[in-house]
Amino acid sequence: MSAGLAAGRLADAPSALAARRRRARLGTGLLVVVLAAISIVALGAGAVAIPPGRVVAILWEAATGAGADAGDGARDALVVTGIRLPRVAMGILVGAALAVAGALMQGLFRNPLADPGLVGVSSGAGLAAGITIVLGERLVPAALGIDPFALLPVGAFLGGLATTLLLYAIATRGGRTSIATMLLAGIALGALAGAASGVLAFMSDDRQLRDLTFWSLGSLGGATWSKLAIVAPILGATLLATPILARALNALVLGEAEAYHLGIAVERVKTAIVILVAAAVGASVAAAGVIGFVGIVVPHLLRLAIGPDHRVLLPACALLGAALLVLADIVARTLVAPAELPIGIVTAAIGAPFFLWLLLRRRGFFP
Amino acid sequence: MTQNDTHPLVAAEGVAYATAGRTLLHPIDVSLAAGEMVVVVGPNGAGKSTLLKLLSGELAPSAGRVLYEGRDARAWTPWRLAAKRAVMAQSEALAFPFTVAEIVGIGLDGAAGRLGGEARDRRILAALARADIVHLAARDVQSLSGGERQRAQFARALAQLEAGRAAGEGSQVLFLDEPVSSLDLGHQIALLEAARALADDAESPLGVLAVLHDLNLAALYADRILALSDGRLAAAGAPADVLDARLLRDVFRVPLPVHRRGDAGPPFVLPERPRGDLGHGAL
Amino acid sequence: MTRAKDISMLATLARAAALAAFVCAPVCAPGAAFAAEEERLVVAGGVLTEILYALGAQDRIVGVDTTSLHPPRALEEHPDIGYLRALSAEGVLSLAPDRVLATDAAGPADALDLIRQAGVDVEILREEPTEAGVLARIREVGALVEAEEAARALADEVAAGFAALAQARATIEAPVRVLFVLSLQNGRAMVGGAGTSADAIITLAGGENAVSGVDGYKPVTDEAIIAAAPDVILSIGRGDHALSPDDVFALPAFAMTPAAAERRLVTMDGLALLGFGPRTPQAAAELMKILHPEAVIAPVIAPLLRAEATR
Repeated sequence: MSAGLAAGRLADAPSALAARRRRARLGTGLLVVVLAAISIVALGAGAVAIPPGRVVAILWEAATGAGADAGDGARDALVVTGIRLPRVAMGILVGAALAVAGALMQGLFRNPLADPGLVGVSSGAGLAAGITIVLGERLVPAALGIDPFALLPVGAFLGGLATTLLLYAIATRGGRTSIATMLLAGIALGALAGAASGVLAFMSDDRQLRDLTFWSLGSLGGATWSKLAIVAPILGATLLATPILARALNALVLGEAEAYHLGIAVERVKTAIVILVAAAVGASVAAAGVIGFVGIVVPHLLRLAIGPDHRVLLPACALLGAALLVLADIVARTLVAPAELPIGIVTAAIGAPFFLWLLLRRRGFFP
Repeated sequence: MTQNDTHPLVAAEGVAYATAGRTLLHPIDVSLAAGEMVVVVGPNGAGKSTLLKLLSGELAPSAGRVLYEGRDARAWTPWRLAAKRAVMAQSEALAFPFTVAEIVGIGLDGAAGRLGGEARDRRILAALARADIVHLAARDVQSLSGGERQRAQFARALAQLEAGRAAGEGSQVLFLDEPVSSLDLGHQIALLEAARALADDAESPLGVLAVLHDLNLAALYADRILALSDGRLAAAGAPADVLDARLLRDVFRVPLPVHRRGDAGPPFVLPERPRGDLGHGAL
Repeated sequence: MTRAKDISMLATLARAAALAAFVCAPVCAPGAAFAAEEERLVVAGGVLTEILYALGAQDRIVGVDTTSLHPPRALEEHPDIGYLRALSAEGVLSLAPDRVLATDAAGPADALDLIRQAGVDVEILREEPTEAGVLARIREVGALVEAEEAARALADEVAAGFAALAQARATIEAPVRVLFVLSLQNGRAMVGGAGTSADAIITLAGGENAVSGVDGYKPVTDEAIIAAAPDVILSIGRGDHALSPDDVFALPAFAMTPAAAERRLVTMDGLALLGFGPRTPQAAAELMKILHPEAVIAPVIAPLLRAEATR
């Protein structure tokens, strides 16, 4: 779009500004439509063949509280309202949270390659999950009657949060948080968590090893209404809080000093971003395991499409992240039905080639 | 002290700064009034940027205090201070493909809150015009030359002041840290002319404080010059008083004979090659 | 290190996906004909599938998990519901089962709960690599599919097999020291220590685990292999994947073991050897014949093979 103005015709400037605004509005509107369409498909698609009309009827009955009929009808209703609906809702929330968390991290670190893993959320959550999987049976007294596997989400959430807070404490001195220190300490803590995870892998038996692998590839298969009820407030609050940070992030892109000059309470904003990301990613990891790529690809893609202004970028990230994850979940649960693929494989399989194509095109490899 | 209108716009009282056991700036008193353009000069490491950071509130002084209209700068909330003063710092490259217009827009968002749509565009275009970069409006800042980037940052600082005025802030301050370091001579003069015009504005004159290396430009545009040397104030006053051959030799350690344009014109220096007994012979 | 694992995992899953899509295509098509009236079973756990086949109840099966590797046709005849620890509730429900038979390893719990909510009976059977465990499981499965008679006969045969093994073990004077090698990567051996099913089958076959001090499947150092002083190296594999004596005894650590003298490397089918089910006495007997040619073993019948033959 810059081509039209490169010649320096002054009269074009106002229309170019308006054009970019229109483009952003159009892009966001398009994303809303895409997300809605994908969600509708996701409610209708699955291993159990239910005709679209029937799906609509079931949703109508659920919404109006009409009684479900018995037999196959009850089973269909359970599949739509008990399995697909919470799954789509979870996909929307987790996808949106991961993409927004990625954009927040990239803005905070002023680096388009930053991802939530950099602040130790993923490594901490991963380690905590590993501990739960491998040592859970030894740590949780059998007398309590708790399935250690059921504690996995809690462990992952607390692990992610604890790592982030530790990193933050390390990088903060005299009320100022050094982002560079945080990055380096994050890499060090990540390596440490990796080593600890290696010890766990060494200690684990075959089944635990497979559990670790499956978990590290992510899945929305565990989405139930009760899990959604726990995770949704955390993810929802994070998503609602981010628009407040958009202007601050724009200023932060210019540099911390510049952001302060522009009237941003820089330290407070940094703290807010780190806590929001830790909560969002911790909750996502707890609900769906480790799902890679959404946090890097989605913001990058949107920066190319509608520009880097965070006031537009953050909501767009939420929409595209949600759409991408729900789409990936459709593929994950229908491609090999009645079995299911880990969703991390699908997001990487969809995201990576697309990302590469984008990069190569930008460097002139394709017309 | 009493709260009345006699407070200077910006005043530094015994401000000093030390970090990691090194004193970068010894206690210094500086003031800046509306309608005044003050230029800080001095060799590298003299403490010019430190002084500017202390005055703009970015650094907390280790001794003394900086007052804006009689009130400690650290007591101002960041957004109130942002309406009061803008800073054009020595900027780094950006990681994201913002357009020039968007960068200028970020300057507006700080104080003016949610200016929307065309009102925002109008202000952005005005700032771009003042910095003579309307033609760059839709360019990606990552593709700009150093000089173009500097002018974009200047436009952003102007937009911030405009936003502050829109938010009802009266007397304002503009800090410029080596604003012309990457510009050609023509744009150096254009930028300083624009800054001078803001200080001379009849309705709402600005206080301008700039760090410059070029003594001749300093003499040409400054009401007062502050010469720093080794973290101390070596001289302060009108250009004619500060541009003194002996003083400059002490500060810069090279011979800088001072000349004058005509009888009452501004002074200017014409560097000479150092002789053996002077200058950087020690190196 | 997890990255490399993820990549190999990815390749495996991609293959599995292609295969599963192919296999499931005719089954997933709506209107596929099912034998009417019979209870429809989804099975999660290879041993349970094996028992159902041995009981002749395979026609009731409408889906099996990826660990149902025996008999090999189980995964060809039935849709694959995925790995038993990562079941999909909707995937299982799409097969319209009346009952899900699963080992205690099956999960996740949320998926099983959803399946229960849909009115499907979910039966969880405990898995343990012991004689008693094998017999109990056969009876339990028999009771669940109302094939008590066949189950009792099968359990009796398996019990007789175990008894024959016990008798034969009594004739063994000096147990052979056996080192089970699960894999050999870059010269690093992953061996089967105490508590593994390899340990259990070695014991059943009258041998002695050379690394009983190790817990579970673990990589060990060269020195540990020399110190273990195994008389026989036991490994699993089929065709190209099997370890060859040339490979194994070329390694210095293995070259210095007593096993190297006579190049004693035994390779057997992993499923039969390590999966504790109806075929265990048979597998143990075969292993015993190799480990202890001197032992006198009463013929141990392979119930499953016979069931296959009578079909």
